[in-house]
Amino acid sequence: MTFTTRLLTAAMATALALGLGAGAADAQALDRILKEKKIRITAQVDSAPFGILDKDNKPTGSEIETARQLAKDLGVELELVQVSGAQRIPALLSDRADLAISSLSITAERAKSVWFSSPHGALSIVIGGPKSVNIKSAADLAGKKIGMSRATLEEQEVPKIAPPGTNIVFFDEHAATQQALLTGQVDAIGSAAFLINDLAKKAPDKQLEVKFTVVTAFYGIAVKPGNLDLLQWVNTWVFVNKHNGVLARIYEQQTGVKLVDLPSM
Amino acid sequence: MTYVFQFGIVFDRFDELLAGAWLTVRLSALAMALGLSVAIVCAFLRTAGPRPVRWIVGAYVEAMRNTPFLVQIYVIFFSLPSFGIRFDANEAALVAMVVNLGAYATEIVRAGVQSVPVGQIEAGRALGLTRVQVYRLIVLFPALKAVFPALASQFILLLLGSSVVSAISAKELTAIANTLQSTTFRAFEVYIVVTFLYLGIAVAFRGLFAAIYWFVFRRGRA
Repeated sequence: MTFTTRLLTAAMATALALGLGAGAADAQALDRILKEKKIRITAQVDSAPFGILDKDNKPTGSEIETARQLAKDLGVELELVQVSGAQRIPALLSDRADLAISSLSITAERAKSVWFSSPHGALSIVIGGPKSVNIKSAADLAGKKIGMSRATLEEQEVPKIAPPGTNIVFFDEHAATQQALLTGQVDAIGSAAFLINDLAKKAPDKQLEVKFTVVTAFYGIAVKPGNLDLLQWVNTWVFVNKHNGVLARIYEQQTGVKLVDLPSM
Repeated sequence: MTYVFQFGIVFDRFDELLAGAWLTVRLSALAMALGLSVAIVCAFLRTAGPRPVRWIVGAYVEAMRNTPFLVQIYVIFFSLPSFGIRFDANEAALVAMVVNLGAYATEIVRAGVQSVPVGQIEAGRALGLTRVQVYRLIVLFPALKAVFPALASQFILLLLGSSVVSAISAKELTAIANTLQSTTFRAFEVYIVVTFLYLGIAVAFRGLFAAIYWFVFRRGRA
């Protein structure tokens, strides 16, 4: 065998190995995570009490504690990938994170882009505003300016129940939406019930209250489409920790609210 | 990579993007006109005004040029209502763009003013013209001609910077894109299309500036 043919053979073998290797790694996310001993999970820290920074600026909240428990049970190190609400799904699709555990409600719309596990948490979307604003039901939203954050469940659900003449405006972050409510730039906001309660406590002089519940949604853990092995493990993990009460304990500790009965997918 | 591009979703709602692009164009054009007016007045006050006025204009320019645009928008939208001054999102966006551009353009116009030979100004004064007349009749035209390319660049920066006003719910191009992205989750497709829309708008404005320069400064006087 001449030197050139040996070189060519070696090059082809390398290319083949690399090609196969890349394909295999794509299909087996769980193996890769176990081999690297590290899982990357999204952390959204502007949505108390699901994700927030504590006094020492460390991420915490029910979703982040859930991520910690999951990483611990998987026996790997946890790397939190900080995202904004709008970046949760793009972070998965661009392979910056293996899992999204960031208060992602399960919707058929989102399921076109990511794959969901069985639900591990839940939340109610409500309309909240000051006592002085007269809103009792969806019909009263007509003629009012209603703020909400992009890439949230309220962005999808509130327009469905809003009568014609409702002026819905969108902000990039919950912080801006809440600020708009506090400064009177909007009459009311569509938001998670916890956020309204939280805000009402922080700004008692605004006399904020929950007007009515729009919808109750269930949170799931999302994976990039194709990562079937990882999804299977996550589903098993959710099943086990639903029945041993760990999910409910984390949720109640962090949110101060009882976790509703979680259905299975 | 196994990602499958789906541009159909974006083009289904292309009219929304166009509406956003149109607001971007209107906001930018209005901010350019008003910002330039602010700059022409401020550049005069900063070079020829009484000393306290020079300080005030200088403070305005430095405050705007040394703070983030996003923070300026937040102040106008979220803080001014506490003082009884309330703008809706589009108004707040326009005001922020005008005061921001005004400051940058003031410095540019001032550079142009200082490039005019002192002899011309002295000649004007010797003919009995007032300071304002000298500025308006003798200084302004060659000053603007000298700095027109720099002004045009600043205008384009303003146009691109207008994407930031989506943060306060103004429904311009980036805001529509963010909403589209968060309802379709087609981030790549949406932002690629928006990139080309911005590019198109910017190129169109550059063409407009070139035409203005040709008709006003080259073909006209001087």
